Amino acid sequence: MKQIKVKVISLIGFTLSAFGLATTSFAADMPAPFDNAGDVKIALVRFLSTGDFFQAYLGGVESQAEALGVDLRVFDSRQDAALQADMVDQAITLGVDGIIIQHGLTESMKDAAQRAVEAGIKVVAFDVNVENTSIPQVEQSDYLLGKLALEQALKDNGNTFKAGYVYVPGIAPLDRRNVAWEETLAANSGIEEAAVFGTLDNPIANSIANQARSVLQANPDITVMFAPYDEFAKGVKIAVDEAGLTDQVDIYSADVSTADISAMLEPGSAWVATVATNPAVVGEVSVRSLAIMLAGGDPGASVIVPPTLITQSFLSEQGIKNMGDLGAKMPQFQHADVAMTDWMPLPAR
Amino acid sequence: MSDIACEISDLKKSFGPNQVLRGISMKLPSGQVSVLMGANGAGKSTLVKVLCGVQKSDSGDVKLFGSPFKPKSPIEAYKYGVITVHQSINDGVIPDLDVTSNLLLDSLAQPGKQFLLKRSEMKARATEIAKSIGFKGDLDTVVARLGIADRQMIAIARAVACNPKLLILDEPTSSLSAIEAKRLFEVIEKLKREGVAILYISHRMSDIRAIADRILAMRDGRISGEFEGEDLDYEGAVTAMLGKKMSDFNVDISEVSSPVLQLCDLRLSKDSKPLDITVSRGEVLVITGLLGSGKSLLSSILFGLEKPAYGQILLEGLNFEPNSPANAIASGVHMSPKDRANNAIVGDFDIEANLTLPFTKFFSNFGFIDKKRQRVDCSDMIDTMGIVCQGGKDSIGTLSGGNQQKVIVGRWLLKTCKLLILDEPFQGVDIKARRDIGTHIRATSNNRATLVFVSEIDEAVEIADRIIVLHEKAVVGEHVNKNIDLPELLSQVSGNSNTLKQAESLQ
Amino acid sequence: MNKDILREFAIRFGFILLAGLLVLFFSFFASGFAGPRSAVFIFQSVAITGILALGVTCTLVVDGFDLSIGSVATSALMLSAYMMVVLEQSAFVAVMACLLMGAVVGLVNGLLIVKMRVPDLLATLGMMFLLIGLQRIPTEGRSISTGMRLPGGQVADGTFAEGFLWLGRHRIDLFLEKLIPVPVIIFLFISVLIWVFLEKTRHGRLMYAIGSNERAAALAGTNVFGYKILAYMISGITASIGGILLAARLGRGDIASGNNLLLDSVAAALIGFAVLGAAKPNAFGTAIGALFVGILLQGLTMMNAPYYTQDFVKGAVLVVALIFTFALSSRVRGGNH
Repeated sequence: MKQIKVKVISLIGFTLSAFGLATTSFAADMPAPFDNAGDVKIALVRFLSTGDFFQAYLGGVESQAEALGVDLRVFDSRQDAALQADMVDQAITLGVDGIIIQHGLTESMKDAAQRAVEAGIKVVAFDVNVENTSIPQVEQSDYLLGKLALEQALKDNGNTFKAGYVYVPGIAPLDRRNVAWEETLAANSGIEEAAVFGTLDNPIANSIANQARSVLQANPDITVMFAPYDEFAKGVKIAVDEAGLTDQVDIYSADVSTADISAMLEPGSAWVATVATNPAVVGEVSVRSLAIMLAGGDPGASVIVPPTLITQSFLSEQGIKNMGDLGAKMPQFQHADVAMTDWMPLPAR
Repeated sequence: MSDIACEISDLKKSFGPNQVLRGISMKLPSGQVSVLMGANGAGKSTLVKVLCGVQKSDSGDVKLFGSPFKPKSPIEAYKYGVITVHQSINDGVIPDLDVTSNLLLDSLAQPGKQFLLKRSEMKARATEIAKSIGFKGDLDTVVARLGIADRQMIAIARAVACNPKLLILDEPTSSLSAIEAKRLFEVIEKLKREGVAILYISHRMSDIRAIADRILAMRDGRISGEFEGEDLDYEGAVTAMLGKKMSDFNVDISEVSSPVLQLCDLRLSKDSKPLDITVSRGEVLVITGLLGSGKSLLSSILFGLEKPAYGQILLEGLNFEPNSPANAIASGVHMSPKDRANNAIVGDFDIEANLTLPFTKFFSNFGFIDKKRQRVDCSDMIDTMGIVCQGGKDSIGTLSGGNQQKVIVGRWLLKTCKLLILDEPFQGVDIKARRDIGTHIRATSNNRATLVFVSEIDEAVEIADRIIVLHEKAVVGEHVNKNIDLPELLSQVSGNSNTLKQAESLQ
Repeated sequence: MNKDILREFAIRFGFILLAGLLVLFFSFFASGFAGPRSAVFIFQSVAITGILALGVTCTLVVDGFDLSIGSVATSALMLSAYMMVVLEQSAFVAVMACLLMGAVVGLVNGLLIVKMRVPDLLATLGMMFLLIGLQRIPTEGRSISTGMRLPGGQVADGTFAEGFLWLGRHRIDLFLEKLIPVPVIIFLFISVLIWVFLEKTRHGRLMYAIGSNERAAALAGTNVFGYKILAYMISGITASIGGILLAARLGRGDIASGNNLLLDSVAAALIGFAVLGAAKPNAFGTAIGALFVGILLQGLTMMNAPYYTQDFVKGAVLVVALIFTFALSSRVRGGNH
């Protein structure tokens, strides 16, 4: 059970993201309560914290909080749903002004979130539905992640090809990305779904590589692999390289990391495109949404951070080698123009 | 008094070709203690197992108060009031439970017993039982923390608490001190008065003298003597049990050359008397004694498993202080331990691998096992020991106990040594295998010193040049194996050398 | 009598026969299954778990158990990445560091079990958690790849050495061009090595003696403690080799618990009990056991079986193997005694 939990968590971790805008403008005058920002206390109550994505998300939250000058407290429940609810209560007792709930289970967080709202605290939720109309949802669009990648696949390969698809049902972000795949299949009768496979056995990339090798052996004429999670894409790439089909197969995926960038840039790499949101930007957007509420504004019921398409050719043309370069060369990846006001200070770049 | 609780007629039982019970007939009257004496392998324990339902007889009848009694399981025997306290104490107690639960175990195990335990009720009942046998310890103590004597008393108390009609006690005093044994005898007297028939298995003369109303001597699966009346003929009973009065002069005393092992002022424990024992090249020395006499401790010390309290050991004149079996083997001391199933047999291995276990180094080149050399040497050993098998590749598990023991003894004869120690080499072995092993040990004893630990004196007289008797970690008797007075030897073993003499003078 | 011979045959060759039938079945029904490349691929897919399983086999032989192998493998994965990417060391240094780490972990496991008398399952369970945590401390839980930002703020510039990647990715020509991957060769080499060690040397025999009756082995002068520690060190080293090959295949230091590696390799070692009716841990059986699982998974994936059938199939194979081992063979053995 624990195994599955850890797997699901690590998977969800890699699938979340955000995007951005590069320029920073310091607004001199901020509305109350930010005129005395040092007295504003906000809390980040986390369900998931291990892994690259969450590290980056936390970085985003911290830098935006610093830019605002508010006092940030981080509560980390380490995947303990009950503890996370208790932590919301702790934050209430602590007298914070705002709370960001990062992931969690609807069942355990719904009541805790309501208690916070009743205590007069402003709350935003990231990637967890707490079923509360006064709590805005910050989310990245998994559907769009899949959709953008598949649009690129159609653009590169036409609408008639034989495809392999990596999918494990039951994992929420993958299920949302799956909607895009099914829509694409329905709209393009020329696409033949030759094989569907997938596993979350740790290390995922290695297990996927073993499966993908078998699939390629059985279907040597596959030309497109849709692997909408970067661990999947890594595994498929290993298998494609090992099968010597690098020139024939194109891999389309979601999510990005420094390691993914170097894999895409390997000579003749089959991994041609990925679609991603920047987790740091999602973190910033979460804090900004909360700040708008604290200042008396309304960020809207749903704050969606749009994803960005990153192609192999773009990476090589721009000489991008890591996430830092990507942010610099691709402003929409560095900053999302979401939850912005004219007074909002942005983190220094 | 004259009620016959249990009558056994012509009871037979064999294991394969091995006839263990060859027609036992006996009567066990109520209110009397019938002592059953018999050497190892005489069939005592098999008889007990048949009576308490562990094993089924091949033929013959057992009648309990006149009606046929053929228990299929210990539970059934228990229902009829036949209660047994086995020799192995750990069969009688559950170490992880407290004294109270142990004492009441049999009633707890009854079907239909109420589901929840009433602690106060249990405690009251347990206190009563404990009082009846004079157990003074804390009833809440976990049995694992108690000494062996207390455990034995608890096992006996447990049996007494079951209201037995026939109580079978198998060597009950083997781990009890004199005071505890006296307490036990008082309990037995009380049961006698209540009309319980008691079958008491022992060959401790002191016990027998204290409680026996009748003596049944058993030998080679038969009753070889029955003694009743006012003055019991103890000597006659011993003779009937051993089949001879004097040791037959069938051992040629070996020529003795230089001493190999010398124990100089060796004390096994801090408060024990010093031992001075010498074993010479060419000699077979048997050390005998009861459980706790120090035999096991001495063998452990010589093989590097224990340290002596004081004193020195010399091996061929040089100081010998082994700190591990490997160390002892390297110095030329080989030891075949007792209890082969736990200490010697490697169940997953074939005969060859079992034989060569201590000497893999000699049977390998650069670490790689030389199968040919192993096969040749092993088939020689199989022939000389007379191990009955199809070949050296047979799994050890396919052999009979006697043949397994031959493998285990043969293991240590595969390479020459200065001193060979054999701890209970005839344990659980039938008479033929015993003779084979004994003959081979004597036949090969010329170039080494041989030290054998046994607890049965008839085994001792079969192979020894010299016999030393240990009692409470001290030497109490020494005999050259020539016309030994066996009753005297036996009484030395039980630690009261004058008992028999007294018994004789009374007659 | 006839029945006995049949049963004896079933116990000895049943499992290998079953594997043969499976190969035939898949060759007919899964297009592309039959062929040298497919065969090599099966080997490749089981090479890493197979290597770990061989280490587990050694601990099983001395009647022990090593739960830490999965985490030793992932620790080696992280350590090799850390050595090359962060510390910018050569492939040789990285490999040596991993092997040393494996040996030290095995030594500590062995000492805990032998000297501190901690039961083997508990000692290695503790070690497992320790390593899962430890491997994440230097990078604060992040995966290691070129260009990553270190906790101190600087960027790691090192790369995986070519020679290191060669270990996981190179393929050697044999009849066909680029046929046999290096991990497969390492797997076969270690299989033979462990097999020879356990079956042909006196050390292996003494280890089996310890596993069957520790007291008897000790009373025959065997250095029981030494051999037990040796078994755990072998287990640690093979696990670290598995981790090195994993790192070389993936080309980055991914954080992972390695629990699947543990379970798969333990399953392979247990399936190995059934091969040739050995009814005990043995290197040949372990290798066959690993391959058996590989054949099944390869065939099923090629036939487009859904992912969740895989664990089910692994479980079914294990249960059947255990029935072969314990029910059937103990009946034959039990008959004699």
